[in-house]
Amino acid sequence: MTGPARAELSTSLEHLVVGYVIAGVVGIGLGALLWSWRYLRDATSPYVYFLYVLPAPVLVPAAMTLFGIGFTMKVVLIAFAALWPTLLNTLDGMRGVDQVKLDTSRVLGVSPLGSVFRVVLPAAAPQIVAGLRNSLQVAIILMVVSEWEASSDGIGYYIVNAQQSFDYVGMWSGIIVLAIIGIVANLLFVAAENRALHWHYGARAVEGTR
Amino acid sequence: MLRRSARNRGWLTYGLRLVVLAAALGLWQGLSAAGVIRADEFPSMSQTVTALWDLVTQSALWSAVGQTLEGWALGLLIGAAAALLVGTLIGMNGFAYRSVIGVIEFFKAIPVIAILPIGLVLWGATLTMKFALVAFAVFWPLVIQVCYGVRSLDPVVRDTTTVLQVRGPRKFLMVIMPSAAPFIATGLRVAVAVALIVDIIAELIGGGSGIGERILLAENAGPSDYPQMYAYVVVAGILGVLLAGAFAVAERYALHWHESQRSANEQEQGYPERRGLTLAASLSQRPSPGRPGGDPGLAVRRPVPHLVVLVGGLQVAVLPAAVVDPEGAVDPVGDRAGSRRAEHVA
Amino acid sequence: MNVQGHETTPAPEPAADTAGTPVVSLRNVRKVYPGPVRSGGHGGPKVALQDITFDVARGEFACVVGPSGAGKTTLLRTLAGLAQPTSGAALFEGAPLRSVPPGIGVVFQDYGRSLYPWLTVARNVELPLRVRGVPRAERTERVAEVLGSVGLADAGRGYPWQLSGGMQQRVAIARSLAYRPDLLLMDEPFASVDAQTRFELEDLILRVRQEFGVTVVFVTHDIDEAVYLADRVIAISKSPGVVTEIVRITLPRPRDQITTKADPAFARYREHLLGLVMHR
Repeated sequence: MTGPARAELSTSLEHLVVGYVIAGVVGIGLGALLWSWRYLRDATSPYVYFLYVLPAPVLVPAAMTLFGIGFTMKVVLIAFAALWPTLLNTLDGMRGVDQVKLDTSRVLGVSPLGSVFRVVLPAAAPQIVAGLRNSLQVAIILMVVSEWEASSDGIGYYIVNAQQSFDYVGMWSGIIVLAIIGIVANLLFVAAENRALHWHYGARAVEGTR
Repeated sequence: MLRRSARNRGWLTYGLRLVVLAAALGLWQGLSAAGVIRADEFPSMSQTVTALWDLVTQSALWSAVGQTLEGWALGLLIGAAAALLVGTLIGMNGFAYRSVIGVIEFFKAIPVIAILPIGLVLWGATLTMKFALVAFAVFWPLVIQVCYGVRSLDPVVRDTTTVLQVRGPRKFLMVIMPSAAPFIATGLRVAVAVALIVDIIAELIGGGSGIGERILLAENAGPSDYPQMYAYVVVAGILGVLLAGAFAVAERYALHWHESQRSANEQEQGYPERRGLTLAASLSQRPSPGRPGGDPGLAVRRPVPHLVVLVGGLQVAVLPAAVVDPEGAVDPVGDRAGSRRAEHVA
Repeated sequence: MNVQGHETTPAPEPAADTAGTPVVSLRNVRKVYPGPVRSGGHGGPKVALQDITFDVARGEFACVVGPSGAGKTTLLRTLAGLAQPTSGAALFEGAPLRSVPPGIGVVFQDYGRSLYPWLTVARNVELPLRVRGVPRAERTERVAEVLGSVGLADAGRGYPWQLSGGMQQRVAIARSLAYRPDLLLMDEPFASVDAQTRFELEDLILRVRQEFGVTVVFVTHDIDEAVYLADRVIAISKSPGVVTEIVRITLPRPRDQITTKADPAFARYREHLLGLVMHR
């Protein structure tokens, strides 16, 4: 039953992966940048927040006019929508790094740039990862939404097409596939996170017993 | 001495922001005028601003905003009420929590967009469809946060409460709820934004009435209506900022007593002192970590912050994660559940 | 002057070098913090240190004591170069402190916040060596040596948070000694451990001080600890933040938790210093 739905999947997933990776890299990079330059941060913060809260699906029409309806449009849309949670969480995570850790790194002789990579980013990692997880959910939604309107392939297209042609079996199969994507993506993410942040969870576990 | 320079810095900040805004708008206008952005594809900045201004004077805009807010409010109310109720019940019972948490996480991971077609089939493009979708989207992450908050009671606080013979409803109201409040607040903050986004998705894609629908109609009407379409996009963004800002202000008042409401950036202040606790019994002496989000239990009494003008409120709203959130989720869609550590989170 | 290996017989204590340039020199140091920008009532600048003047000679073990709120941590940060005095001079080895010079080590009170949880114990200790470009083989050797000195020879592969509080502080000490600093600053390092462990750590720091030949400035609120450890105790008062008195401790070395504390001179020093600290 899910055969045709699954066939559309690979196109959608391609967009998702590319868009998400771009969102992650740009989100962390911009977050770090805003953390470093206070004036930039203060000057742009309302606009960053505006874009963060703006429901990204409203930008579908804009994306379509600017980029057409192909690969570029979808990837740009997904990346643009998904980068804000990561950006804000990166910024906030970096701001929240303990002053003691920063002083320690100065005393140990770590250069300011070195501190960013050796101390600030690892310390902020748990929150950055939380942001990345949220970004993933946003990316999945945009993956579907970007195909809803004018597209000729992809799982979103498949679902809306089925719904409009009253092919309810097809629609349900599409929904199920989509639900599975969400769940699997979540599981993969959590598994990766447990490995990368094992030190964080270990430290947390111990804290509760002291 | 410093206050003067802080005020100067305040003016400088506002000035910079205006500069950034002017530059962005100017760039937009420039690109349109130079033909880089084709007039039949994307309106110029001046056209959009004019359209926005016109709309403000017409009832169509406000009725659309009203309709969007209807779906948002109803869905948020239903979803949040259900989450608070269910979350509290589940959270207080360890066995229930452990049995059910897997199912909740499962449903939380389903992209809400997958539910939209179901909603359409059941209710068509109506208000009911909108708020049902919003309630569904809001419920799952919030119920996890509520569970988490209820379960995060500091063992020391819990033991002290037992020793002080505080039980039953009084314990619930005076100890458990305040302890869970920051977690619930974070969850609600995220829910406020999620609700709006899902609501607008339901309008834009499902056809429910409201801002999203207007965007869709304007788009379908062709390039002559593009200025209006983007004006509505701006309206959607502004609405989001206003709602989130209003929530942040409300949260500040409700949680003024919690240490997370101090300045988000301590990196300029040196080391925070150890926080003592001002309850009858002296409780945990654990120093709070540098990052806001220390002991979510009963904490230091702080003076009520000055009334935050909403424009200034943007300052607070910009870093929404400044409020305590042990796993650090800041996002409209879904949130980070602390699935492992249901016990005290330092 | 590094003593190789672990000491098995008590070696003579290195005499403080009072003739050369003092390692640390503070002259009329004053530190004022601007008040908080948004406050519910406590606005205004805060004078953490009013007028601090003292020297610490090479090889000396100096303790700084004072009541809570006397600006001891501020003083330590100034000595480290983490904070600049508002007025007055802070010199390290004769040169003014602009930033943190490479020859300084700091052990903070809160080891939980200072040690990096994403690195193993060995990697934490190794970090300053990596940053200084020490080649890998030598790094491994030095890490092993310094971990051995603090009694944690086998703990390298674990994570700091897997260790007890006392052991974590030993890691912090090891990390700050790994690069052989000339000056070791310690900010109430043993305040967060239990009393038993504290005695062990006190003896540990005396041992490694001798082994590595560092000058130590040790901030504490515990008078007993100060008298036990120090060559000189510098007593600081609260408002104003000035040096009340500098007491030279002539108790014999090597010090011992039982015999030294039974010495009547210990009690006299203790009484004198408590009087200074408690009456301000």
